[in-house]
Amino acid sequence: MDLFLQFLANGLVTGTFYALSALGLTLIFGLMRVVNFAHGEFYMLGGVLGWFVTSHLGLDFFSGLIVVAAIMAAFGWLVDRVLIERVRGQGEEPGILLTIGLSIFLANSALLLAGTAPHKIEGPLPNAPVFLGPVVLTEMRIFAVAVCAALILGAHLLIKKTKLGRAMRATFQDPMAAQLAGIKTARVYASTFALGSILAASAGMLLGAIYSTQVTIGGIVSLKAFVVVILGGMGSFGGAIVGGLVLGVAEALWGGYVSTGMVDIVGFIIVILTLIFKPYGLFSARAERV
Amino acid sequence: MRALTYAQLVATAVFGSALALADDTIKIGVIQPLTGSVAYNGAADINGSKLAVEERNKAGGVLGKPIELVIEDGQCSPANSVNAAEKLIQKDKVVALSGAFCSSATAAIMPVAQKYKLPLLTGVSSKADLTEKNNPYFFRSAETDALLAQAFAKILAENLKLKKVAYIGVNDDWGRGGVEEFSKDLSAHGIETAMTEYFDHGATDFYTLLAKLRTSGADGVFIAAETQDGSILVKQLKEFGIDMKVFGVGSWATADFINLVGDAAEGIYAAVPYAATLPGERNQTFVQAYQAQYKQAPDKYAAAGYNATNILMDAIQRAGSTDAEQIREALKATNYQAPNGHYQFTANGQAYGFNAALVQIENKQPKVIATTSVEAPMALAAKGE
Repeated sequence: MDLFLQFLANGLVTGTFYALSALGLTLIFGLMRVVNFAHGEFYMLGGVLGWFVTSHLGLDFFSGLIVVAAIMAAFGWLVDRVLIERVRGQGEEPGILLTIGLSIFLANSALLLAGTAPHKIEGPLPNAPVFLGPVVLTEMRIFAVAVCAALILGAHLLIKKTKLGRAMRATFQDPMAAQLAGIKTARVYASTFALGSILAASAGMLLGAIYSTQVTIGGIVSLKAFVVVILGGMGSFGGAIVGGLVLGVAEALWGGYVSTGMVDIVGFIIVILTLIFKPYGLFSARAERV
Repeated sequence: MRALTYAQLVATAVFGSALALADDTIKIGVIQPLTGSVAYNGAADINGSKLAVEERNKAGGVLGKPIELVIEDGQCSPANSVNAAEKLIQKDKVVALSGAFCSSATAAIMPVAQKYKLPLLTGVSSKADLTEKNNPYFFRSAETDALLAQAFAKILAENLKLKKVAYIGVNDDWGRGGVEEFSKDLSAHGIETAMTEYFDHGATDFYTLLAKLRTSGADGVFIAAETQDGSILVKQLKEFGIDMKVFGVGSWATADFINLVGDAAEGIYAAVPYAATLPGERNQTFVQAYQAQYKQAPDKYAAAGYNATNILMDAIQRAGSTDAEQIREALKATNYQAPNGHYQFTANGQAYGFNAALVQIENKQPKVIATTSVEAPMALAAKGE
């Protein structure tokens, strides 16, 4: 029983991390319908930049996070204006090819500049164990879960409550009508892409402080993020959270009771089952329009 | 498709200069993972190889010509390594191959080397059966898991006084091989097996594995993992409040590993074929040269690259020509004095005679606790082990 509680706690913690990693993708892929294969590389850039600003520029973790978020917002904005803009409205394939190219470019540029070594980001809290009854966690993990929750809530409020959020929802429902209503859709696309990049990069930096960051992790992050988005439903925040938690807990229980050697199989099984039984995911925000 | 493009991109971006062709050089093909989860170790191997070539070229090269390394990214994957081998042999016309790090990748390029009748030397791949495939063009200047396990089982049993050990390995040929061999040899010394688990390359969260480890009742844990996976695993092991003797194989006795793990690295043991702190004048010279070049101490893989490349260059020199058959004959007669002992090959192409060390990390330095010589499999067989 104690072991079960520990597995459950591990699963919920990694599940929250998956949810945060996938949140940016649910915006870009789920709402904007850009199949962003460079998502994992955005996450990686967040981690590597975070390492650079904290250990080379000497910033503390939070100032570093703000700087990284600002850089990545500008970066996301530019990627959308300069690259994605050119393939918008031409179906999904050009976007897929474009983002695959972008991911290769980013991963290899980072490899050239930052090298292959894993890097350590100094977190704001120690990684000392905290015992909650039979369950072991660390302060840094509890803190990261809290930050994840705050970021998820913040992004949710931004989309549901602000003027920009309303413009976003209008644009993705019907770009033509939104444009006729006076919404500058180009700006809305770019802001959404920038927001998605910020979320991915913050996840990369936060989790880099818990694990470590290295330039070659993009692929596996993209993979897990796609699993979460497909499971949760395109463009659904609630779906990303539930999808992340389901994946995290399923992996932890599989690892705990079956075998840790084949844990990555869980994500694939989940995707296959979702596509067979609930092809729009658990909470699709756009199922009615597909 | 994507992977292929990656390899080409990296090859042109990073090693474009190395590809510049010149006719008056002798080319050696090198296949190492430069992207993916063991990229870091692959890069160290390349650094060692480059240093060896630089030293040799400064001293006049081989057969009066400078040596040129042609480097390809095999990504530790069988498919990419085979592509790289074909390209090196057909397009670059290399005279010998060195690579391909992961045992599964090396196993995949062995038939390619045999098909083109080109000598292939691996300085890293340790899966025991590679030298049992009767491939006359294959040589290995690395310890196998079995040889390392045999060399260390007694030291571990006596020095660490373990009773019950848990085994954790990365889920590939090397990790599984290491776990199997060590558990076999430690069991022979009366040490019980508490648990055996594997994890995937690139895994980041080990809490589930560690929860199982904590309840396994082991007093020591053996880990087969490389820098990237291993450093995260050991860090989380200490975070998790597990107080066991930790000993591992992989590139553990390195400055990078110790920096990444931080204080949690103190006191852990590593069974390594090479450590920068090994005694001996040759090793000091090598460490100084490497440090001058790369601003860090060499690790196991840097030494492996350095040794493998030197062995190949020696063989070409002694062969007196770049003819593959003559190089192969010369390789068989290898008698190379390395920073970490002495290399010779058995009839199967397995190296022996070099040293391996048990180190303990103390004050951020790998301290050598005991060294042992890796003996030829034949000698061990003769002793009935």
